[in-house]
Amino acid sequence: MDVPGLRWLANGQSVLSGPLLALADRLDTQFLKWAADFGAGDYRFPTFLPASVLERIDWFRSFPQLATLPACLDAGEENLARFTEGSPVVDGAVRPTALAPIRDVLTPAACYHVYDHLAGRRLDGPLYLTTRNTCFRREERYEPLERQWSFSMREIVCVGTADETHSFLEAASAEVDRYVAAIGLPVAWERASDPFFRPSKNPQYLMQQVDPTKFELVFDARLAIASTNLHHDHFGRAFDIVRDGEPARTACIAFGIERWLSAFVHHFGTGGPWPS
Amino acid sequence: MSDVREALRAWVRDHNPDVPAGEPADGTRLIECRYLTSLQVADLLLFIEELRQAPVDPASLKPGVFASIDDICAAFF
Repeated sequence: MDVPGLRWLANGQSVLSGPLLALADRLDTQFLKWAADFGAGDYRFPTFLPASVLERIDWFRSFPQLATLPACLDAGEENLARFTEGSPVVDGAVRPTALAPIRDVLTPAACYHVYDHLAGRRLDGPLYLTTRNTCFRREERYEPLERQWSFSMREIVCVGTADETHSFLEAASAEVDRYVAAIGLPVAWERASDPFFRPSKNPQYLMQQVDPTKFELVFDARLAIASTNLHHDHFGRAFDIVRDGEPARTACIAFGIERWLSAFVHHFGTGGPWPS
Repeated sequence: MSDVREALRAWVRDHNPDVPAGEPADGTRLIECRYLTSLQVADLLLFIEELRQAPVDPASLKPGVFASIDDICAAFF
């Protein structure tokens, strides 16, 4: 599909401009309005996430196939000299000499930063935060706007009690339902699971089968454009976030902005006008 | 069946030393109460297989089967 304002790059990323970029900004403004309804503070976290943060939730064993790691050359002069004296790039691939230890990961999901940010906090009421980040997920194949190596994710996160997280997801889903009904976007919520590596060997996958905690808003029966996620006390325990003496419960709703763009251009046309 | 329920109750208490006296009841929401976490779910499955003396295919597990002792009994015994 030829979409004005979209330039697709061979490395699984897109360039947005013009009306399509304006639509992306408008959509994010809508998501921010929902966040504001919960009184959520907006946070802008960096692109890199310390590997030690993801290690706390055993992320690397669960999702190694998704990881994108920022690699740096070992800073020793001799190593750098060997790098420059050879052919640094061959057929588009960097030929590194010795690498420095890799201590960070490019953000795979926006909300992970939130739990690290709140580590050690003692809360006496519900807390709502929102954040948007460029997220990176290595995939076997990429599709413009729908499956990209890097993409934009807006999330709204609730940290509180079990009841508060349930109520949050119910209210947030209802907001989204009202919006998509008003604009006539054909979507439906469907039960989903996270893309675990070797799922049959992963107890978290087994748990998601018996206790569905993830639901996706699927456009046209094929493309998930948002998801709701109930984490129970998974992050509260891992990051020592406490609510009223107990490990805090968390939940989030996530919006894949490029995927919303894809849904809009497929349903309303590539040139607009798109619903306001 | 009461033996099965008592065995399941004992399993939950063994894995959760802080469970209040009298808990879990047959209808207690085990996952909501965090008496059953993802770290324990595979162990519980093995325990159920041992109790019923028959294997359980993990791929056949349906939502809600571990929600409470009542639900476990209804699904596996």
